[in-house]
Amino acid sequence: MSTVKEQLIEKLIEDDKDSQCKITIVGTGAVGMACAISILLKDLADELALVDVALDKLKGEMMDLQHGSLFFSTSKITSGKDYSVSANSRIVIVTAGARQQEGETRLALVQRNVAIMKSIIPAIVHYSPDCKILVVSNPVDILTYIVWKISGLPVTRVIGSGCNLDSARFRYLIGEKLGVHPTSCHGWIIGEHGDSSVPLWSGVNVAGVALKTLDPKLGTDSDKEHWKNIHKQVIQSAYEIIKLKGYTSWAIGLSVMDLVGSILKNLRRVHPVSTMVKGLYGIKEELFLSIPCVLGRNGVSDVVKINLNSEEEALFKKSAETLWNIQKDLIF
Amino acid sequence: IATLKEKLIVPVAEEEATVQNNKITVVSVGQVGMAYAISILGKSLTDEFAFVDVLEDKLKGEMMDPQHGSLFLQTLKIVADKDYSVTASYKIVVVTAGVLQQEGERRLNLLQKKWDILTYVTWKISGLLKHHVIGSGCNPDSARFHCLMAEKFGIHPSSCHGRILGEHSDSSVAVWIGMNVTGFSLQELNPEIGTDNDSENWKEVHKMVVESAYEVIKLNGYTHWVIGLSVAGLIESMLKNLSRIHLVSSMVKGMYGIENEVFLSLPYILNARGLTSVINQKLKDDEVAQFKKSTDTPWDIQKDLKDL
Repeated sequence: MSTVKEQLIEKLIEDDKDSQCKITIVGTGAVGMACAISILLKDLADELALVDVALDKLKGEMMDLQHGSLFFSTSKITSGKDYSVSANSRIVIVTAGARQQEGETRLALVQRNVAIMKSIIPAIVHYSPDCKILVVSNPVDILTYIVWKISGLPVTRVIGSGCNLDSARFRYLIGEKLGVHPTSCHGWIIGEHGDSSVPLWSGVNVAGVALKTLDPKLGTDSDKEHWKNIHKQVIQSAYEIIKLKGYTSWAIGLSVMDLVGSILKNLRRVHPVSTMVKGLYGIKEELFLSIPCVLGRNGVSDVVKINLNSEEEALFKKSAETLWNIQKDLIF
Repeated sequence: IATLKEKLIVPVAEEEATVQNNKITVVSVGQVGMAYAISILGKSLTDEFAFVDVLEDKLKGEMMDPQHGSLFLQTLKIVADKDYSVTASYKIVVVTAGVLQQEGERRLNLLQKKWDILTYVTWKISGLLKHHVIGSGCNPDSARFHCLMAEKFGIHPSSCHGRILGEHSDSSVAVWIGMNVTGFSLQELNPEIGTDNDSENWKEVHKMVVESAYEVIKLNGYTHWVIGLSVAGLIESMLKNLSRIHLVSSMVKGMYGIENEVFLSLPYILNARGLTSVINQKLKDDEVAQFKKSTDTPWDIQKDLKDL
């Protein structure tokens, strides 16, 4: 006797099992899941795979998302501890790693996360040799370098989420001060995603009007309006949120969604993300730092060579030095 | 001396006292509240969002985190307070507060998570009109049912139609005659569907709806995405005046011969006025009986509640 399905539905051709736009997220902690829900809400992928070692949580989170599939357009959500589940991904987002503890600097996390990357990256590349890897785990700049080295992929396909979030926070805070939406406030933070990030005050503008032309002291210590505090707040925000709720998740999830959108749809938007900066601004070492990059379907296709003034360049080099001091002693 | 802002921006219109708004609040920033919040923010449904909770540090952290993502959102004002005055003149308040269901605890044992009863309590305490107090009810159950139907057919959940009515979860009623794909009732193809004689065991699918939530809780400690997404869908219908039909929980006294003031799920139309109409179901006798029976448990608990 035929089933209800057989009576109702007549198959014409075999299903094409290969997804066109698959994204894998490694790590189903708060950050990984925030990335997942942001990506699902924006309908960016036709398949989402989750990978983690905590099997119960992994399965629970996958099922919970699957049950919500009525509300979005990602028809296939899978999970597994084995990386075969990630095969054929366009982008692999790496959020796995030890969580930054309260008061712990990003740099203190490093060696803990190196071992984790060594266990993850070769499998990712094996199953998706053409993918772009987006590294989110902290300290993101050093880890992106490590992931690049381990992966053997071209440097343009290994991208650190870097200062995309710092710049978003910067623009939010500028917007708050001016009563304008963040998308209409333009400002860039480059360098380390962390304590030594570099705010480019000369570029901060609204409708093309550089704020520095209205107040030449902008961002300096003698600035009566203390705009410099905005940058301090950006650096402090992660620490503050971690102190209040234990971790940060939503903003980084949205930031990652922003980057994924540019890559998958080949938008060629410019984002401050972490990429190889050897040879730029007098930097001689193999370091990853955030600079404005053009993101498209092949990853970082171009970089924007902004003119840094002497102070900004000095800060950028200092950022590089801070990272190199840790990176040079890394064992991996 | 003019500030930088004053040099840059010149007001040309007078400040208006009040502006049309679409403000929404969520009470409690637990897993469900935050899942719901990110769904609302991600779908750009509101221009102002408020969080309320008693845990002040977590509340502030959960407010600051999405605020920092404002560049990627279209909700400029995100606020939080433990004092409800922050929600003044808000259009919709979503209540997710309550004790998390523990593993193994069947929903019946846990009063605070008993949504239909909670909706009744909220209605009584608030004094609001009954069509302004809505329980999320069987909305997530139906979403799960769509998902399970979809898996069985190999098509998208939005192309599968099925309704689960009555009490949220344990004694909910699956309306088999209404299950359809493109209007084709599954019961016409398989008259035994949902019964014990059904060779395809579709009754198991209904059971899975109930069991799957427990399974997720066992694996992950809680469920959140489905509820968050499904509630965002309800809010969307109300804010955008869509008049879509949702399986939500409302007062059913007077329907199907029910005499007590209980809240159960039926297909209701949701729009800007709230819950405005109900869809008349052609329920079979045993389905009506089941539906009426599912009022017993909530009423047993409700009738003994004090301080309402």
